[in-house]
Amino acid sequence: MAEKPLLSVRDLSMIYKTRKGAVSAIDHVSFDLRRGESLGLVGESGCGKTSVAMALLRLLPDNAQITGGQILLDGVDLIQLSEEEMQNIRWKRISMVFQAAMNALDPVYKVGDQIVEAIERHERDIDPAEARKRVEALFKLVGIDPKMADRYPHEFSGGMRQRAIIAMALACNPDLIIADEPTTALDVIVQDQVLRELRQVQKQMGMSMIYISHDIAVIAEVAERIAIMYAGRMCELASAVEIFKRPRHPYTVALMSAFPSIVGEKRPLVALGGEPPDLLFPPPGCRFHPRCPRALDICKQQQPPFEDIGGGHYLACWNPAPVVEVQS
Amino acid sequence: MTPNGIPLVQVVGLKKYYPIGGNIFSPGKLKVHAVDDVSFTIPAGKSLGLVGESGCGKTTTGKLLTRLIDPTAGKILIADEKNNLVDLAALKGAELKRFRRRVQMIFQDPYESLNPRLTIFDIVAEPLAVQGIGTVLDREVMVAKMLEQVGLTPATSFMFRYPHELSGGQRQRVAIARALVINPSFVVADEPTSMLDVSIRTGVMNLMMDLAQKLEVSYLYITHDLAVARYTSDDLAVMYMGKIVEYGPTEEVLHHPLHPYTRALISAVPVPDPTFKRGAPEIKGSISKPINPLPRCRFYERCPIAAKVCEDNDHPPLEDKGGGHQVACYRV
Amino acid sequence: MTTAPADTAFQIQEPLWKIRLRIAWKGLKQNWALFTENKIGLVGLGIILFFGLMALAHPILMHTVWEPNIYDPFIGNDPTILRHPSPPSPRHLLGTDPVGRDVLSQLMYSTQSEFILGLLAAVVTVTIATSVGAISAYFGGALDAFFMRLADLINILPFIALLVVLTAFFDFGMIELALLIGVLSGFGGTTIIFKAQALTIKVKPYIEAAKVAGGSDLHIIFRHIVPNLMPLAFLNMMFTVTGAIFSEAALSFFGLLNLRMSWGIMINTTQAAGYLLGGWKYWYLIVPPGLAITLLCSAFYLVGRALDEVVNPRLRRR
Repeated sequence: MAEKPLLSVRDLSMIYKTRKGAVSAIDHVSFDLRRGESLGLVGESGCGKTSVAMALLRLLPDNAQITGGQILLDGVDLIQLSEEEMQNIRWKRISMVFQAAMNALDPVYKVGDQIVEAIERHERDIDPAEARKRVEALFKLVGIDPKMADRYPHEFSGGMRQRAIIAMALACNPDLIIADEPTTALDVIVQDQVLRELRQVQKQMGMSMIYISHDIAVIAEVAERIAIMYAGRMCELASAVEIFKRPRHPYTVALMSAFPSIVGEKRPLVALGGEPPDLLFPPPGCRFHPRCPRALDICKQQQPPFEDIGGGHYLACWNPAPVVEVQS
Repeated sequence: MTPNGIPLVQVVGLKKYYPIGGNIFSPGKLKVHAVDDVSFTIPAGKSLGLVGESGCGKTTTGKLLTRLIDPTAGKILIADEKNNLVDLAALKGAELKRFRRRVQMIFQDPYESLNPRLTIFDIVAEPLAVQGIGTVLDREVMVAKMLEQVGLTPATSFMFRYPHELSGGQRQRVAIARALVINPSFVVADEPTSMLDVSIRTGVMNLMMDLAQKLEVSYLYITHDLAVARYTSDDLAVMYMGKIVEYGPTEEVLHHPLHPYTRALISAVPVPDPTFKRGAPEIKGSISKPINPLPRCRFYERCPIAAKVCEDNDHPPLEDKGGGHQVACYRV
Repeated sequence: MTTAPADTAFQIQEPLWKIRLRIAWKGLKQNWALFTENKIGLVGLGIILFFGLMALAHPILMHTVWEPNIYDPFIGNDPTILRHPSPPSPRHLLGTDPVGRDVLSQLMYSTQSEFILGLLAAVVTVTIATSVGAISAYFGGALDAFFMRLADLINILPFIALLVVLTAFFDFGMIELALLIGVLSGFGGTTIIFKAQALTIKVKPYIEAAKVAGGSDLHIIFRHIVPNLMPLAFLNMMFTVTGAIFSEAALSFFGLLNLRMSWGIMINTTQAAGYLLGGWKYWYLIVPPGLAITLLCSAFYLVGRALDEVVNPRLRRR
């Protein structure tokens, strides 16, 4: 009945080796992604969301080591692939829009040339004129005047640069695009334009998308399903509506209550006490228990399993919050 | 013209123009109108939120209010101990230094606003030391009390650490302590939470509002985030290209925006509710720098309802539309 | 997290200076740990210590084991040896120089002045460069322009040639030389390095915070800018020592300095007596001072490199 997912991450674990020891950056993370679906990955700094993205592309620094799990792209485990084989995956099947991508454009080359170069690097046999035409089509797609391809990055505004980066990521028609905080540095009106374009492009090209952010408002508008991460682990994964209307994990509930909104009634914001844990020495059991208002004894000893509690709503919690309809 | 209450801060016709190009001998003809005839009032016990996109002049306004930069024109009136209004812009030398006790600032970047080579004690005690308040022992006590008030308890375990040993949220609390230790009546907060994580942000915001009440401090809360402004400010001023285009009680402005820019801004803010259908902001073009602006409404090029009257006349003045809600628009 | 009432009694447990001392000690230990991670720092330090011991050992030896008549670095002469210079022997571990003086004694004696020269020049350089750099960066304008042009001028003139010309007019002893090198370096290229660093500090928000608190210009320069230049200063001192020792050696070799004894003088004596190009036979006249110069200079350089890793967190291994 359900088609096989495009991407299937199973029990992914990764550490960073530092002078002081091993930092447990990702711990047994699992999720699926269907074709054309957009998944939001939410969490605060240090929760591991960017590490997951880098792991998917195998763009990890030298001191990072994947210690377990599988990353199945159409059934093929990316972890087992060699570097040359990964070159065929990057940009062609999975592509990424980085954080602070505005600085990813080389200031001494024309923007169009840089995208052409990216295309030629990943599709060796392509005809340069063909690549050029594709760049123009991409620019039109993301809402930039194709004539701007012959200009330099400093002649682009912030929002335009971000769109150029998105165009570059789409250049080889990937199946999956990973966007890591692509609009964080943009003004709100420009952010709105870029988000709209991104969603339109995604629908038009039938791509899957993983959208990473700490801003749950943006995620609410972009993602069909949302995964909440904390301290390297996945807490909850469900449809966007479920996460916002019926959050079960205490961390998810805390995030919702801590986020101000300009619509609706002005309710008091509830701050979550404490700090995220040091991943050199993560707390035993559930990593959220030191800050959790619902922590039980078992939470301090055993890590709760990440499992389906019904209707595709995944949760890792021994004492989830009761189902309370969150009013809009 | 002014909302209720005794004015604590009254800004009148504040201007800051920067010349660009040219040199010492022939200054450039082009000027950036960073802050262009801005006026507002903050009553004692209330906070004003200053919102707008990058380049609108809000940060410059904040720096003008703390005399980090000097205004090109205008008055910055701040109430002294006897409730007389003193023009901060006209003060110099020792008088200026003494008056600085009343106005302090909290900066955006918790990583760069603390001197990495000084201990937390030195950092928080600096305003006291510079202003010559108390002996060293007195200052230790004052700093300790302040640290406890911002939630860094026990104070003794924080006093002699260095900034790099603290988290972003803790550092921002230190910055707040430093601003408040000298007991100012007015604090300019320039995006104090935008570089913090969400769950930390709320704690710091709540702290600031708590202390505003307890210590009777008023804020000018500068932010680009309308949702944050909603929670921290009693009144709201929306800035565009150096001018205030709308001004009034926060809930009123957010729920009944009158100026087309405010409407566009509000409709662009993402809402944390997947079932909420947000309309597209009605606005064209993109932000430009206010360089030698033409004598017409600054918003003319991007306005969805612009008319001939907007182009033929100079930028509209702020007009009260009732209940303290002011708008600068010919079409409303 | 609710805020605590302001009435909780706060006891002053320890005097402030004690606490600061404790923190300084902790900081020192941490920096030491970082410094020793890289072995080259230890090598450099070891060599410096070795030379330090040499300098200290000389007066002890002179008072105990060595007879002044024979081993005095200036007027000693060993009558039991017929031809000077003589190669190393049991009584003269590094032989004797053309005038009959013990080479090892000369070497050890000179170490002291080399150290003084190097460190004095370094301290003077860094003091000037830090102050001028900070003031230039902070005030800008005409003051900045003046100091930068001065630095350019000093940079344009070849250092050694300038020193040579100056020695023609003045008599330079060790201290005077140290001060001269210090002043020239201080106002020269080093100042530009410190000014550049000071410029990055000047725009930090904590400087603005100090201004808002009411801090005067002087307060900001000496309380905020200069302390943040200190790591760079220590680093720079190490490299200045190297330059100073080497410059002195070169000048002494040319016989331009009014010094009684130094490693450079030792080589000068060798050259003046015509033994410089005498081939490998007279190695003990050239290699000891040459090696000493090279080793000590390298040692300070290695320490400087290791310090770089302490000072510049980006260079550290993760």
